[in-house]
Amino acid sequence: MASVVPRPHYPDYSTAAPVNHHFSPYADNGGSIVAIAGDDYVVIGGDTRLSTGFQIYTRQQSKLFSLSKTTVLGCAGCWCDTLTLTRLLSARMQMYEQEHNKVMSTPAAAQMLSTVLYYKRFFPYYISNMLVGLDNDGKGCVYSYDPIGHCERSNYRAGGSAGALLQPLLDNQVGMKNMQNIKDESIPLERALAIIKDVFVSAAERDIYTGDGIHINIITKDGIKSDSFPLRKD
Amino acid sequence: MSILTYNGSAMVAMKGDECVSIATDKRFGIQAHTVSMDFPKVFEMGPHLYLGLPGLATDIATVYEKLRFRKNLFELRENRQMSPQIFGAMVSNMLYEKRFGPFFVEPMIAGLHPQTFKPYICNMDLIGCRNEPVDFVTGGSASAQLFGMCESLWEPNMGPDDLFETTSQALVNAFDRDAISGWGATVYIIEKDKVTTRELKTRMD
Amino acid sequence: MALAEICGLQDFDTFSNEAPLQGDVFNYTKNFENNMNLGLPPFPKFTENLSHLSKDESGRELKIKFDHGTTTLGFQYQGGVVLAVDSRATGGDFIGSQTMKKIVEINDFLLGTLAGGAADCVYWDRVLAKQCRMYELRNRERISVAAASKLMANMVYNYKGMGLSMGMMIAGWDKRGPQLYYVDSEGTRTPGQVFSVGSGSIFAFGVLDAGYKWELKDDEAYELGRRAIYHATHRDAYSGGIVRVYHMKSTGWVHIDNNDCMDLHYKYQQQKEDSLNEV
Repeated sequence: MASVVPRPHYPDYSTAAPVNHHFSPYADNGGSIVAIAGDDYVVIGGDTRLSTGFQIYTRQQSKLFSLSKTTVLGCAGCWCDTLTLTRLLSARMQMYEQEHNKVMSTPAAAQMLSTVLYYKRFFPYYISNMLVGLDNDGKGCVYSYDPIGHCERSNYRAGGSAGALLQPLLDNQVGMKNMQNIKDESIPLERALAIIKDVFVSAAERDIYTGDGIHINIITKDGIKSDSFPLRKD
Repeated sequence: MSILTYNGSAMVAMKGDECVSIATDKRFGIQAHTVSMDFPKVFEMGPHLYLGLPGLATDIATVYEKLRFRKNLFELRENRQMSPQIFGAMVSNMLYEKRFGPFFVEPMIAGLHPQTFKPYICNMDLIGCRNEPVDFVTGGSASAQLFGMCESLWEPNMGPDDLFETTSQALVNAFDRDAISGWGATVYIIEKDKVTTRELKTRMD
Repeated sequence: MALAEICGLQDFDTFSNEAPLQGDVFNYTKNFENNMNLGLPPFPKFTENLSHLSKDESGRELKIKFDHGTTTLGFQYQGGVVLAVDSRATGGDFIGSQTMKKIVEINDFLLGTLAGGAADCVYWDRVLAKQCRMYELRNRERISVAAASKLMANMVYNYKGMGLSMGMMIAGWDKRGPQLYYVDSEGTRTPGQVFSVGSGSIFAFGVLDAGYKWELKDDEAYELGRRAIYHATHRDAYSGGIVRVYHMKSTGWVHIDNNDCMDLHYKYQQQKEDSLNEV
């Protein structure tokens, strides 16, 4: 008869039952984007906080990427997806320019972005995108996207972590919704800039993933101008 | 789906100069299906005391009845009117009694003190954690949208007319971006010598 | 190169002509060359495992919410086909847009309506539009509605079970007259007289079935479609915005009008009060 040797028990080195770990490829790095278009300009602002949960990676990361002299892309969401997507788009923009000997227009870039996003339909880029620029008539335009590439053109839009907070405010202040005896017409550039600063100050008060500062791009027929503005840093 | 967004609601209360406002939407729905468009969610608890109950419709009715009973009992026993502060404490206590099986409502209270007429607003979570800010409180399924609106529209020391305009703009624009609240709105402006109730014309989709 | 071969250097990618990053650019945009080639997730059994992706590294719930929710309808009558749709796009309970275009103009004689995942419908409608145009160029005649709808059904059937969500009507006018088909992401494809698709369709059907008859005049048909969509937007939380009405005629489609639901509501309510006062 075989003797039973007791298994040694080391309380300091106990092992737990096997645990099934799942790979989680996504991260939510927060951030908000707001864009307003007018007759001959478009402004886009993004906050400069890059965070994960309650940690802040950096307070000065711009979320705006210029794809051409009249097109800017704003991205909020998973930062690693953003890096891949923007690299892909700028490569495609360059290929187009060298093949056709002209710069891709903003509406064309908007359609391309939609197709690129839909390629990853079954494993989406976790990004809320906003593409702005001047269209073929020189009018400002804002294209906003869902993560798998549904795209809509509008004149103003808020996206990212504080999108739900800011969109009704833009409806009211820019879209003149629920206002009586006021004509719905496009607003001047100075007013658009003031609204963008105001809404980001509000977002920084209530959304922990938005703050530190904003980076603004103003696109007119003369090119892209940059501006920045500090927000609360807590 | 959260049980707090099963029926859908949008509610906001604001402080002004010697006045307070409270406003609510009127929808009662079951998820996507809009059942009724005149469902009361804000209740008059006293001459200067209003209670708003955003959350699950069945608990709105129960909590309102329970609170009415307790408040009436207090006033009969003590022979004095209940101040909004005390009422808030009572609501908070009652909700915490059900700490492990809560009512799915997140009440808000707006009123003036019966003697000093000092404005008071507060809201609390479903187990009674009270929050008494100096500016505004929001609640319901459109609360994120309301936060965005109120944060930039609210300013200190508004008179009753300004307060009405600010409250209604905040509420209507907020629930126009929320699928499960809206379908009409009621705004109450509570002042020392009168309470004004106004119905708003809103989108009905 | 002999030395290189002896040393086994040909196994290294360093000598390949293609720069690795450029290959990456093509790999992530394969659907540019072949529209039906979409990327697959880099792990096995992804249809079952996709749900595990809904949390980020710190365990916070991610909200990958696609635009959803709709009321669309289409019916045939003596004057052709009428399509009517709402314009609301919702992600969760948040209203993403009140002005979405849910009727896609595939060409002058083909219209598609979208319900379900907005990106799915728009992408595949665009692919369909390209294929219909290719057919025209190859065969010197317009594609029939039956063929177009079958192309669509076959394309999406390849992705069945992978989470595509779309329910669309394809309306057109070809050699055999006006046509109306229903196609969805499960692979269903069926011709019919009266359809309504989307979360508000039960409400729309109530109005539509009550007022529908083959002999409707054009204006009556538009008003029936408009009213059915309006009543659906009133009762269904995920429908709303603008009511758009289109008419498919023998000469191609015509956009009849757009009406804001708020204006429609107060107009219809006024009519109701007026008729009550008369009695």
